Amino acid sequence: MFGWTGNILRIDLTKKTYKKETFSEEFAKKWVGGRGFAVKILFDELKPGIDPLGPDNKFIVALGPISGIPAPNTGKAVVAAKSPLTGFYGDGNLGTRVSEHLRKAGYDALLVEGKADRPTLLYIENDKVEFIPADEIWGKGTYATNDWIYGKYSKRVGVLNIGQGGENLVRYAVVRSMEGRAGGRTGMGAVMGSKLLKAIVVKGTNDIPQAANDAMRALGSGDLRKVGRIDKQTGWSTQGTTGVLSWCNEVAALPVRNFRRTHHPDAWKIDGERLNVARIATYGCPNCTMRCGITIHDSEGRESELDYENIGLLGSNLEIFDLCQVASLNYLCDDYGLDTMSAGCVLSFYADAIEHGAVSGDFMFGDAERAKLLLGLAARREGKVGHMLADGSLRMAMQFGKSSINYAMQVKGLEVAAYNCKFIPGQALAFGVAPMGAHHKEAWIITYELKNTTRESYGPEKAAKVIELQRIRGGMFEFIVACRFPWVELGWDLDNYPKYFNTITGLNWSSDDMWETADRIYAMIKLHYLREFPNATRQGDYPPAIWFDPSNADTEGPIAGKVLEIDKYDRLLQHYYDQRGYDHRGIPTRATLERLDLVKEAVEAAKYGNLL
Amino acid sequence: MKVTVKIIGPFIYAAGFSESEVELVEPATTEDLISRVNIDKDRSKIILRNGKAVTLSDALTDGDRVVISPIYSGG
Repeated sequence: MFGWTGNILRIDLTKKTYKKETFSEEFAKKWVGGRGFAVKILFDELKPGIDPLGPDNKFIVALGPISGIPAPNTGKAVVAAKSPLTGFYGDGNLGTRVSEHLRKAGYDALLVEGKADRPTLLYIENDKVEFIPADEIWGKGTYATNDWIYGKYSKRVGVLNIGQGGENLVRYAVVRSMEGRAGGRTGMGAVMGSKLLKAIVVKGTNDIPQAANDAMRALGSGDLRKVGRIDKQTGWSTQGTTGVLSWCNEVAALPVRNFRRTHHPDAWKIDGERLNVARIATYGCPNCTMRCGITIHDSEGRESELDYENIGLLGSNLEIFDLCQVASLNYLCDDYGLDTMSAGCVLSFYADAIEHGAVSGDFMFGDAERAKLLLGLAARREGKVGHMLADGSLRMAMQFGKSSINYAMQVKGLEVAAYNCKFIPGQALAFGVAPMGAHHKEAWIITYELKNTTRESYGPEKAAKVIELQRIRGGMFEFIVACRFPWVELGWDLDNYPKYFNTITGLNWSSDDMWETADRIYAMIKLHYLREFPNATRQGDYPPAIWFDPSNADTEGPIAGKVLEIDKYDRLLQHYYDQRGYDHRGIPTRATLERLDLVKEAVEAAKYGNLL
Repeated sequence: MKVTVKIIGPFIYAAGFSESEVELVEPATTEDLISRVNIDKDRSKIILRNGKAVTLSDALTDGDRVVISPIYSGG
């Protein structure tokens, strides 16, 4: 078997034991890696109903055959567990040197179980695992933690760590790496925190087994240079992901004022052009020439790394149009180890709920200083307000009542990414059916909707496009484990990825093989959902109700007077279910599960919920 | 005729501005405007005229707002 090490490292924090376990070639070919490994292992090993913040949850770091190989944007890792935010399978990916080091240490995945008896740092070097007391860094932010680790182990290691947000079990705490990368929006940092696991440090010094080392080295290195050249020719890196902000503002897709408005005359103050002017440095992940992290000095003079999602949700969505203040909020989230996107939605929901009388409080849109204080309260779970904010929008809405759930910007508990779909039906569907909540990594079709169809359409072609992109973005890139940016932002040919996969593994997979694996993984996430929520209904795949509310329509601009129509959305949802082979609740049918070779998993899922 | 042009992302560095009013001789198409603002017509892009996507051969009229953007795909 080439391309995989064939090993998973299982670590028990309670017993302070570890063992190297092997997996079969059949397992490798069926699940490939990354999200595929995570979704299968957690399905087999977690009992439904366990406390995601208790010792029974398991935390996985999973890599794919392409991870750590010099080729375009392969320096990524998937982190996964049962999510404390959504209550079922959750994951995220982040750029990290762990990707290469864990594979060179001889493992394709790391599985952490149990709970340590004191703050702990796991140090993994090839076959050796050490449980290092981490009391000295417990309570520190991610920047100081990273510095401490680099001081102890040098920078020639892979690091995953958490900040105060993860330690204090904020439900949207992330895992951080390399002083700027973050992943695991679904609260993966809180899962580490619940295990008193402050950091994981990995050093690997072996070779990654490949079918054709020399061929892959030539192919991968050459392609890395080619992607770099395309980046330079197009000028993409001048603004990185933030170029899209002014486009969203033009097409009425920008989140403004808790998504109540879709554009704002001051949006230019926080756009990509302004960011490029303020830029002091640019950072990227391992094996990446695109370097999408643009840093500027925040209002306190600290270096803060920004991208579109955090400017959209901590900026325009809070009506804060001062880039240095947005950078400050972003810095605090990064240092506390909070997801900037959920944090932005939580704060905007809080301001909106106060404004609409659902709760009393003293936070208003545009108040950057108060927003900074609130982030601190949340990260420390300080007082009633801190606890409330730390639990995320869905639980806040349950607490507030008064129909506030209608404008809590979340799906299945996960806050919405920075695209306002008040009148973008296909993207609203993409958020609605994103299998673990409203994440943009699964599918994004706004340009398609505007360019290749009409904005007003709810036709089956939009459901087909969502599925096509889910297979690529939430599927292939998440199980071979590489960043989608060369393809998604620079148009790097998608056929390159099966080529890399085949060169490394010696297999002969087509794109269709990739899509079948993607469908299997998506079906598995739905089975996780069914096991935890046996009374699931199709309403779970609806986007936030505010997008259907005519009283929330824009009064001017390109979509004045327009909102989504619920009957039409429901028919679009049915198109998606029909094309996917899912039932009326959005659960894969028995026939679909059989087609995807998930008969055993179907038997297990059927113990908890009905399969049709 | 005069149209208002909004340029998005890295295209602003080729055009030299991000928003401006541009005077064109009638009749004028989107392609005429693209040449006028120094953006490579062969580069992938999405062009919106008054909020709706248009092609290079579509005609422009006085007072239009035209947005010229690279293809964004959601990061």
